[in-house]
Amino acid sequence: MSDAPILRIQGLEVQVAEEDLPILKGVDLEINSGEIHAIMGPNGSGKSTLAKALAGHPGYEVTSGSVEFRGEDLLELETDERSLAGVFLAFQYPVEIPGVSIANFLRTAVQAHLPEGEELDIFDYSDQLIERMTMLDMDVAFAERHVNDGFSGGEKKRNEILQMAMLRPKLALMDETDSGLDIDALKIVAEGVNKLKAEDPEMSVLLITHYQRLLDYIKPDHVHVMVDGRIVQSGGPEVALELEADGYKVFEDAAAETARA
Amino acid sequence: MSTALTDIGLMEGVTEAMNGAAVERVSLGEPEWLRERRIHAWDVYERTPMPSTKLEEWRYTDLKKKLDLDSLRLPETEAAPDDPAAWPARLRATMEEDHEASGHIVLVDGHVVHADLIPELAEKGVILTSLHQAADEHAELVREHLATEAVPAEEGKFAALNAALWTDGIFLHVPKGVKLDLPVRVTRSYTESGAAYFSRVLIVAEANSQVSYVDEVISDDFDEQTFASTAVEVIALDDSQVQYVALQRLGRRGFYQSVQRTLARRNSRLDTLNVAMGGSVTRVDLSARLLGPGASSDMLGLYFGDEDQHFDFNTSQDHEVPNTASDLLYKGALDGKSRAVFRGIIRVHAGAQQTDAYQTNRNILLSHGARADSLPNLEIEADDVKCSHGATVGQLDEEAKFYLMSRGLEEVQAERLVVTGFLGEVLAKLPLGGVVEKVNRVIEQKLSQHS
Repeated sequence: MSDAPILRIQGLEVQVAEEDLPILKGVDLEINSGEIHAIMGPNGSGKSTLAKALAGHPGYEVTSGSVEFRGEDLLELETDERSLAGVFLAFQYPVEIPGVSIANFLRTAVQAHLPEGEELDIFDYSDQLIERMTMLDMDVAFAERHVNDGFSGGEKKRNEILQMAMLRPKLALMDETDSGLDIDALKIVAEGVNKLKAEDPEMSVLLITHYQRLLDYIKPDHVHVMVDGRIVQSGGPEVALELEADGYKVFEDAAAETARA
Repeated sequence: MSTALTDIGLMEGVTEAMNGAAVERVSLGEPEWLRERRIHAWDVYERTPMPSTKLEEWRYTDLKKKLDLDSLRLPETEAAPDDPAAWPARLRATMEEDHEASGHIVLVDGHVVHADLIPELAEKGVILTSLHQAADEHAELVREHLATEAVPAEEGKFAALNAALWTDGIFLHVPKGVKLDLPVRVTRSYTESGAAYFSRVLIVAEANSQVSYVDEVISDDFDEQTFASTAVEVIALDDSQVQYVALQRLGRRGFYQSVQRTLARRNSRLDTLNVAMGGSVTRVDLSARLLGPGASSDMLGLYFGDEDQHFDFNTSQDHEVPNTASDLLYKGALDGKSRAVFRGIIRVHAGAQQTDAYQTNRNILLSHGARADSLPNLEIEADDVKCSHGATVGQLDEEAKFYLMSRGLEEVQAERLVVTGFLGEVLAKLPLGGVVEKVNRVIEQKLSQHS
């Protein structure tokens, strides 16, 4: 684990595109290579917006601040370029793409990640896909199914992890990966993330979650509390435990106080 | 005088090139019955008014704006030799992709220049030949079916024009019990800008036979409007299985006009697929008649438009006897200022109980300038039937695009994948093999030209 900062967010302000509705009101966050961070917060606090803005979602507009990813201005990059640079967003609500098989989709994605002019060897790709699916305890037949089309909540999240396993990002943004999962599904998904992390200790992870529960399975180094578009507290794993005991109310009251002042 | 006649819808569309004398010329050397049939068709043509937007079926395709009949000539090009070296480059390239086939027909500028058939199929009595030649050599069969029951001249203005002026076409006859494992492949190439081409297809599948027929129309872009008219007659006799596939890949300024009618007899399965990618204007009139109990037709369609392409599909599903089924699925993606019209009707005739009939048209718009109109319709005169219709026009899902781009796909790649998936649903329904790959390639090529 090195200490080089992989992600540096400074004073980030984000609003819903074409609406004058600020959601992030000045976020500062630094993640070093290999660290696992968690952002916790109540619904509507802006934590998912942060994940989407980092991935370049067209529905959100950065109005102020900067994001540096491995020394590069991330905000200058298109969504696909951010992926190629090593950012991966595991979606809270993975999108259904009818008629497109996972195998075909992933082949296109893996090809896109190759250096310019390099052709994907289809046999290598198949081997790799099978190896990754085996690692994640997935049935190989799963790859023939259409992307998220008719999937259960658990299947959708596992599909996210499979994509992550194939694309091997340097920074994984996990947006409410625990939402809609029962405890067994949650364990499987968490185990997948932990395996990938074990494989590549340099990979950084930003977990976005409402509940402490996920953090029982993926252990964060740092925990941040986000309320009303700002990070209001940062600390070690104990922060999550305090939140579990006391809830967000104390933070929300303080935020309301600030807003009034 | 002619002004007065056209005022009442007579003599409309009679031009310097297309007239009674042209009919006489094209029938030179033909058997008398055929000549009479052409003259009759021309007579119907003269008496039939040019369809106008006042007609519901032509409401969205204004021929006054879309078709300049007066500018069209009949093709002057000599028939090309049966030698690939002499064929247009694009035709050669297309042919090279199609090795696997029961047989081939190649038409260049409206004339059959090549025909081949696996010898053992020929021994079994399969006929795959130029329609012109078949009118001589298989006169009885051709005379019985050509422009009689399926697409007679009375069918409409363009059916009449085609029946009068067709220069050549394809005749496919599959005898009783003969099954073709590989598709029959037809490739037509058009090269003469400003010409009006008329060709026909006649397919007769006898009882218990099986055949898949793939007809691809190609050209480069034209300098002037060029008209490619086809009349298609497909007859599936008892217990036969027939698949008709039309791939339209004309260049720009091509006007593709196709009247297709399928007749499905007892327990037959007669499926069609229309893929429209090219041309400036596409007008397909497809009518499936289910004439024997147990007959079924899947009717599939795919189109992808860009720039100012205009597609108009007019379909009917006629259930004329009890216990028949039809299932229509037309899907299209539209970009630029392209436009699609789908108008379909399910008719369940009186007494046609236990009909299963479905009709679905789905469109995805890729730009703000694109437009799709969908007009599904039901006309049911029986009470024990299962029928439904549905139509959707939607935008490309931005979330889907973002999702794919977040995995490293460029915007055009992401769009392409969503569109391929959207259209792919149709291909998954094709029952007979050897075609999906071909159609996939056609879609891929259109998508890659497009971006």
